[in-house]
Amino acid sequence: MTAPSSTLKTSRLSGLLGNRALLTLGIVIAVWIVASLTSRGFGTWGHLRYLIELAAVIGVVAAGQTLVMIGGGIDLSVGAVITVTAVGVPLLSIPGDATGLGAIAAILGITTAIGIVNGAGIAYLRVHPMIMTLAMATFLQGALILLAGGSAVSVDNAVIDMLGNARPCGIPASVLFWIAVALVTVLMLRRTRFGARVYALGANPLASALSGVNVPMTTLALYGFSGLMAGLAGLLALGMNGQGYVGIGDPYVLMSIAAVVLGGTSILGGLGGYAGTVPGAVLLVTISGLITVVNASAGWRSVLFGVLILGLLLLSGREAARR
Amino acid sequence: MATPVLEARDVRKAFFGNPVLKGVSIALEPGRVHALLGENGAGKSTLINILSGALAPDSGGVLVDGVALPLTPVVARRHGIAVVQQELSLTTHLSIAENIGLGAFPRRFGLVDYGALARSARALCERVGLDEDIARPVGDLSLGRRQLVEIAKALYRNPRVLILDEPTSSLSAHETRTLIGLVTALKRQGTAILYISHRLAEVMEICDYVTVLKDGSRTADRSLDGVDAAALVRLMVGRDPGDLFPTWRPTAEQQPAIAVRGFAAGRVRGVDLDLRAGEVLGIGGLVGQGQEDLLLGLYGAIPAAATTAQFGGRDGLPGSVTAANSCGLAYIPADRKREGVHLVHAIGSNMLLPGLARGAGWAWRYPAPESTQIRALAARFGIKGDLGRAAQALSGGNQQKVALAKWMPLDPKILLLNDPTRGVDIETKRDIYTMLRGFAAEGRAVMLASSDTPELVHLCDRVAVMRDGRVVAVLAGPEISEERIVALAMAADDVRSAA
Amino acid sequence: MSTMSASAVAHRGLYRAVQLRRNKGIGGLTIVVLLFLAAYAVLFPGLLTFEGFAKFSQTWLPLALTAMAQAMLMLAGGISLSVGATVSLGAVVAATTMGTPLGVAGGLGAVVLVGLVVGAITGAITVRLRLPAIIVTLAGSFIIGGVALLILPRPGGSVPTTVSDLLAGTSPVAFGLLLATIALWKLYAATPLGLGLYAAGENPVGAYRSGVAVDTVLIAAYAISGALTALAGFFVAAQTGSGDPVIGSAFTLNSIAAAVLGGVGFGGGQGTMRGAFLGSLLLTVMINVMFFLGLPPVAQYIAQGLIIVGAVALPEIAKRRAHRAGRVQS
Repeated sequence: MTAPSSTLKTSRLSGLLGNRALLTLGIVIAVWIVASLTSRGFGTWGHLRYLIELAAVIGVVAAGQTLVMIGGGIDLSVGAVITVTAVGVPLLSIPGDATGLGAIAAILGITTAIGIVNGAGIAYLRVHPMIMTLAMATFLQGALILLAGGSAVSVDNAVIDMLGNARPCGIPASVLFWIAVALVTVLMLRRTRFGARVYALGANPLASALSGVNVPMTTLALYGFSGLMAGLAGLLALGMNGQGYVGIGDPYVLMSIAAVVLGGTSILGGLGGYAGTVPGAVLLVTISGLITVVNASAGWRSVLFGVLILGLLLLSGREAARR
Repeated sequence: MATPVLEARDVRKAFFGNPVLKGVSIALEPGRVHALLGENGAGKSTLINILSGALAPDSGGVLVDGVALPLTPVVARRHGIAVVQQELSLTTHLSIAENIGLGAFPRRFGLVDYGALARSARALCERVGLDEDIARPVGDLSLGRRQLVEIAKALYRNPRVLILDEPTSSLSAHETRTLIGLVTALKRQGTAILYISHRLAEVMEICDYVTVLKDGSRTADRSLDGVDAAALVRLMVGRDPGDLFPTWRPTAEQQPAIAVRGFAAGRVRGVDLDLRAGEVLGIGGLVGQGQEDLLLGLYGAIPAAATTAQFGGRDGLPGSVTAANSCGLAYIPADRKREGVHLVHAIGSNMLLPGLARGAGWAWRYPAPESTQIRALAARFGIKGDLGRAAQALSGGNQQKVALAKWMPLDPKILLLNDPTRGVDIETKRDIYTMLRGFAAEGRAVMLASSDTPELVHLCDRVAVMRDGRVVAVLAGPEISEERIVALAMAADDVRSAA
Repeated sequence: MSTMSASAVAHRGLYRAVQLRRNKGIGGLTIVVLLFLAAYAVLFPGLLTFEGFAKFSQTWLPLALTAMAQAMLMLAGGISLSVGATVSLGAVVAATTMGTPLGVAGGLGAVVLVGLVVGAITGAITVRLRLPAIIVTLAGSFIIGGVALLILPRPGGSVPTTVSDLLAGTSPVAFGLLLATIALWKLYAATPLGLGLYAAGENPVGAYRSGVAVDTVLIAAYAISGALTALAGFFVAAQTGSGDPVIGSAFTLNSIAAAVLGGVGFGGGQGTMRGAFLGSLLLTVMINVMFFLGLPPVAQYIAQGLIIVGAVALPEIAKRRAHRAGRVQS
């Protein structure tokens, strides 16, 4: 594993990145140990499993976000896309479609298309990713209220219910699903040509274009992947909640970006990987879990969360000056 | 003998454990133009940064007027040390005048005194030969003009020490003459000047004293009296310069690899051009006459049109870089750092990219053959050291080798090179020249746009001279001479005024 | 004496010439804004009355302030995702201090101070620790929003009616405040610190080598930006008469949208403050038009999304049409 990759990545750099991922993992374990010793109920298997389940949703969104950020962009529309999924699946449930797979396929097609539209705006119209995806989020927010109204919609879909609640061998299905997503993402980044192009694009778009990288197509694929991942995360969130409502996806914008950055991926693009994002996602839910256990007021919870993210950023995700 | 105004004594500096300066001393005296020579990677930039306070040496000291000081940019400025670096310090959005005064604005009641600023800026622009409106944003200016603003900015602080790092690299012949006059005048006023240039003729003309660096050590420190250009090169390289250009035999075939008629792209218009297999075709002319647009247009990187076009037997222009690559074209850009290499990525990854940019995205990568390929390329191009290092760790010359080497796996039939030896040390230049002739001998077609006239003369089968977006002449064989190229590059009256 | 007057003339000469050249870049935008304003005035002649103009400038002011705050940071090479939270904090501070013995002046002072401190801390963290602004301000939005919630857990407090009447009444005091803000900005932009902002944003290394105190310039920009944002919050509180700890959330996106509409780019040093200011006017007119056309808020979201993308994309398309021969196409 290390031998071939050391020829492709700076050995010092990959050491550093590896350390970052490991560092994040180390922090997670330390936090868990301390928390389970000090707070009753934290260290129980049930609670940990619950946290990992929550992390799975973030982890899946963050898979798309990781790719986009390595590619030098950012996707602020993932929250709205998750909401589209969670509200859309119940609306799409077709009577004749017994398995519910038709609705799922349709919604994933829609979310991927949303991502591709993001990519098209960025690649062809040269709209800055932050503006394009924010505008997309605003647009979707309006469209959603128009379609779904303000009320929550319950889902009746066997597959989604299974994703959210089944526990083969005691392991939540959502976690198994996350593991599959993680494997695909890591392999895609490290072992496919597409992955190499994403890294190149993020590090230097101009040099990439002159080296023959098809920048527009790569951008479309990146944001399309992010849309697909947000859609899958939306399915997981829907399965766990049992109902979809407007606003269900909102927290995931910040969460996904934070997980990626805590995992050591550069916000400037070109460096990083999904291996760091995974512990980043677990760390995030652990923090939220801890804050909930502390049982503070909404104001304190918010302040604590912000301070902890900032503190962790200082510890693990410090951006080297690159100019 | 005067006391040195600025002196570095036995300074050492290492980056990430790699020693870049191994105990170098240099002393700048008032009223003397001091040349600092050395190949890229010899440690010149580091030494300049130490002299200007931008870097602190690991050991050794910097003395101003004989007093050792911990130098920072602010302290350096206070002592009258000004630097004109290759990487310009300008803000494109601000006007020429505001840029000149930046960091040292004249003030009235806490506000910038635009009156005083205008007066000094106008006077300085006149001195450096810049005739633009001083309210113009710098972003509107050409690279050469910006360089002049940068020099005016340095003079604005009335420096006692002026460090000029390749000040003429983007200047026209006329602008260069003005600058040389300026340097001579400053020298008479008693300014100490440190002059870094790859153009030996300039150095011979204006410098009095020379320090030569090689691999982070000082190999010469002496007066320039009685030293000729050949001796200078010997000092830098450590051997005779006679073999800078390889000897070669024409290998051009009749069959054109590229043939375009009525070609237009960017500012290029109505160009008829053949590039034959087995030849090196030079593209000459003053800076910015459309040479880059010609190459980029042929490469499909900017929109282009032609009445007829043939690429490797196929009709029509390649509409995209991808299409150009599959026609067997490769492009080596002038601006390595921005366009040529991915600085933060490993040397090896850089060399794999053109290969990985082709084909299906989901195609699997196999690390073992990839690393064999990288090692073979590195060996062939003489790129030493750990290939897992980020490309920014390499010197400019070696980065250029990477930018060239990465195309080899695609076996390109046509190479388009945009000023590949700009800012490259002599050793690497020689390597690149040998490679280019080697490519031609293998039957590849090479198009070489260059701002360095000698390399057009000594390396090319034919030379197309461009002026204002058009090819004004194509010289072949014995017609090719520096005088002819320069004369064609300038309109006739320009030639007279420059001479 | 004669040199003084000569320098005054020359002063006006260069300063004017520079300013005029900067206006050139926003000519097209000005025309668009004027067209929109004219259309608005035709649709709703009420705009041309004293009172109608007062109301219009009241919706414009907070957006203009936040757009300028955002533009400062974008020019400095940063961005703020905590604008909304800071607006809320400003509103909450205003509503909880002005009714107390501190009085209106004391309350206003508290708002400005809080804004300056919040901005300066954000700036110091971003600049000194070299952390990406987007992440710092995202985390900051939680902290600042949390503090707003701590001060005022639910909507409440009060702004004295005198203040509300003055600022949100029938006279265009808000417009006067806008003009005053612009005047202050022009003064600031003519100081070495203000000019240094453009340099530090576009070419920080070059600016540092030129002797610009880059860190100071950037942190000052963050602090001033924080103060402007908090003042927008104060104004919002004056409009509603009380404080609300989440009232500002829409301002984050809108401030970015206004700045971008005005031609301010990401990456530092691209665009002008006057552009951002016009952008805020354009966005205000658009929002008002949609409101008066009776579009449901939902449709406004959709329209806003489309308008922002359109506003950014159209010039790009036009530019490419105009001279098809740009630089390298990526």
